[in-house]
Amino acid sequence: MEGLFTFAPAIVLFPLVAFAITLLVGRYLPLGGAIPGIVATGGSLALSLVMAAAVAGGETTNELVYTWFETPEITFHFGLLIDPLSAAMLVVVSLIAFLVHVFSLSYMNAEGETGLPRYYAGLGLFTFSMLAFVVADNLLMSFVFFELVGLCSFLLIGFWYRTKSAPSAAKKAFLVTRFGDFFFLIGVVAIAASYGTLSFAGDASFVTAAESAIDSETFFGFDADTWVTITGLLVLGGVIGKSAQFPLHTWLPDAMEGPTPVSALIHAATMVAAGVYLVARMFGYYALSPTALAVIAFVGGFTALFAATMGCVKDDVKQVLAYSTISQYGYMMLAMGVGGYVAGVFHLLNHAVFKALLFLGAGAVIIAMHHEQDMWKMGGLKEQMPVTYYSFLAGSLALAGIIPFSGFWSKDEVLYDALIVGLSEPLILAAYAMALLAVFFTGFYTIRMVRLTFHGEPRSEAAESPHAIGLPAKIPLAVLGVLALVGGAMNLKPLEELAGLEVAFLERWLDGQGVGSVDGLTYHAYSETVHYGHEYIGGPEGTVILSAALSLGLALAGAGLAWTLYSGPEPTRHTERLGSLRDLAVANYYQDEYQVWLARGLTLPLARASDRFDQTAIDGVVDGVGSVSRFGGERLRRLQTGQVTDYAALVILGVLALLVVLGINGGWFL
Amino acid sequence: MMAIEGYVLLSAGLFCIGLFGILTRRNALMFLMAVELMVNAAVINLVAFALYHGTLTGQVFGLFVLGLAAAEVAIGLGIILVLYRNFGTIDVSVPTTMRW
Repeated sequence: MEGLFTFAPAIVLFPLVAFAITLLVGRYLPLGGAIPGIVATGGSLALSLVMAAAVAGGETTNELVYTWFETPEITFHFGLLIDPLSAAMLVVVSLIAFLVHVFSLSYMNAEGETGLPRYYAGLGLFTFSMLAFVVADNLLMSFVFFELVGLCSFLLIGFWYRTKSAPSAAKKAFLVTRFGDFFFLIGVVAIAASYGTLSFAGDASFVTAAESAIDSETFFGFDADTWVTITGLLVLGGVIGKSAQFPLHTWLPDAMEGPTPVSALIHAATMVAAGVYLVARMFGYYALSPTALAVIAFVGGFTALFAATMGCVKDDVKQVLAYSTISQYGYMMLAMGVGGYVAGVFHLLNHAVFKALLFLGAGAVIIAMHHEQDMWKMGGLKEQMPVTYYSFLAGSLALAGIIPFSGFWSKDEVLYDALIVGLSEPLILAAYAMALLAVFFTGFYTIRMVRLTFHGEPRSEAAESPHAIGLPAKIPLAVLGVLALVGGAMNLKPLEELAGLEVAFLERWLDGQGVGSVDGLTYHAYSETVHYGHEYIGGPEGTVILSAALSLGLALAGAGLAWTLYSGPEPTRHTERLGSLRDLAVANYYQDEYQVWLARGLTLPLARASDRFDQTAIDGVVDGVGSVSRFGGERLRRLQTGQVTDYAALVILGVLALLVVLGINGGWFL
Repeated sequence: MMAIEGYVLLSAGLFCIGLFGILTRRNALMFLMAVELMVNAAVINLVAFALYHGTLTGQVFGLFVLGLAAAEVAIGLGIILVLYRNFGTIDVSVPTTMRW
């Protein structure tokens, strides 16, 4: 490694050191051990910015750091891959981790929580795992840190382990994501076995190996392109688990049991982002498989709508945000699935900012409300907490996709990319339609949440006299609020299309135009591989305007509906008029029930039957062998009389028998 | 010179006498003597075949076996002494504690 990249491993190692310090001596440190974490993530943020600057200066790195072990066929190693994508992600992850650490001073320390060193150690390990995942240069390293991220989420969701619900939610998060990771692991093994390499980039990457194998080789009896689809979908299992896509999304709403800053970290920068980031990281591989792309797009579009409908009826502010996360990650998946790599990454980065903002805002509200999370007991907080209100509003408008907030630009680009592909692909068009409809619901639930929380009259004692929030909570909110407002400027694609201005900065960044790039990992290279054709209504310009008008119109319609419905000092529960539809959505479409049924009604009896088969048939054979030996031994030991004479007689009889046998064989008696 | 058959027959006869002694006697001393008979039957065979082949190997072996037999008697008598001390008899059918 050369130049500035010599310091790149430190980005990852700072939080690990903070974790070790906090774990070992955290209880003797002031502020419950928060300082090492804040310093470390601050250092990571500074170094990440340096790395981004280095990439902007035209450099990248793809270096081996440590060889785990090697065989003649394959080498397993840990390495650093810093290209435009990982540099951008590093900045966002370390920024949000830093702000979450700072915010925790208000949320955890000021509230007199116990076990703070454990909390900060968990945050440190979480940040370390995610940063290492981001810079991973091969799939095995990704998998290792993917799992570590899952472990950290388990530790932090179950932070309040004395309650009944938190440990159960932690276990659920761990098991459900682990179920997806199981497929991921098989995919890693399959890719390693078929291409002999797991690297993301370079000449010896599995992407180039797969590219050259297509049309010429077969793996395990499959054509190379079928095999790419199979392995791609196996890896996608891990993505669906971590990024909470249908049908493995059920862990995410329960994960709200964790402390709110942890929710911000999980939803914005670490755990959930890991899934989509993995798709972006190995996008060249997915680009080879039309089937895998279509699956990604459809799952994404469906999840976007599915989760948005559930978000409309929740009463708990964190639950609304949880479903919005699932829905927004659906958009990113849709973008990836239609080849809109830039749009997907753009939405990932924007979403990280505004969702962290919304969760921290919700955290501030929850402190103010003395840990009340029911929106119907809030109201009227607007005047009392202006910083929280305005930043939360910025985040909400970004989430709802209202111009000019960041979410509008990225969501519009996602929908535009989906539309131009969908015009020739019916399946993608269906996914696009679902995602478009979800825009309406997003606008609705977002504004409903803002209305119920901040507007109207206070509906409980806590809301009348909210608890003051400290400066450590306000600063992150303000920073993120500004970013949520201006984040869209990263990639003003519609303006570029319409006005011919060169303002699609992120697209150029990810394409390596004027900045450093790694061969084969550019938007340009991906676009050449993706097989989709593009069609337009009324030319490219017309389609841009149509798409933007549709998404903005629907978002405004949803937002406006919620604004009028929940106006006034004492809003009524309008969703209850939906009757059984509401019940269905409140019950999360019985997703949990059917999954529990799958576990209890199907897997458990199957496991019981297997257990019985094991106990009777397999163990029966083993025990039978033992019994026969025991019984035989019991009888045979009677030979041992202890009389020397008997032994001598047996030996002589034996010799005689041997003589007779030899004699017969030798033909003496013939 | 006697034919080889004579020596072999003598040896077989001695061996069978010794074997008979082992199978029928209960006195440990008698046992020891019977074993000596069998050992000497083997020595006769060795010497006889050495003569037959005209080599000295068998004769040397015979001397070794005689020395070995002497040592064996010493150990055997020792065992018999211990036997007597522990069981008060030298009847080999009495000590059966070593069986299962």
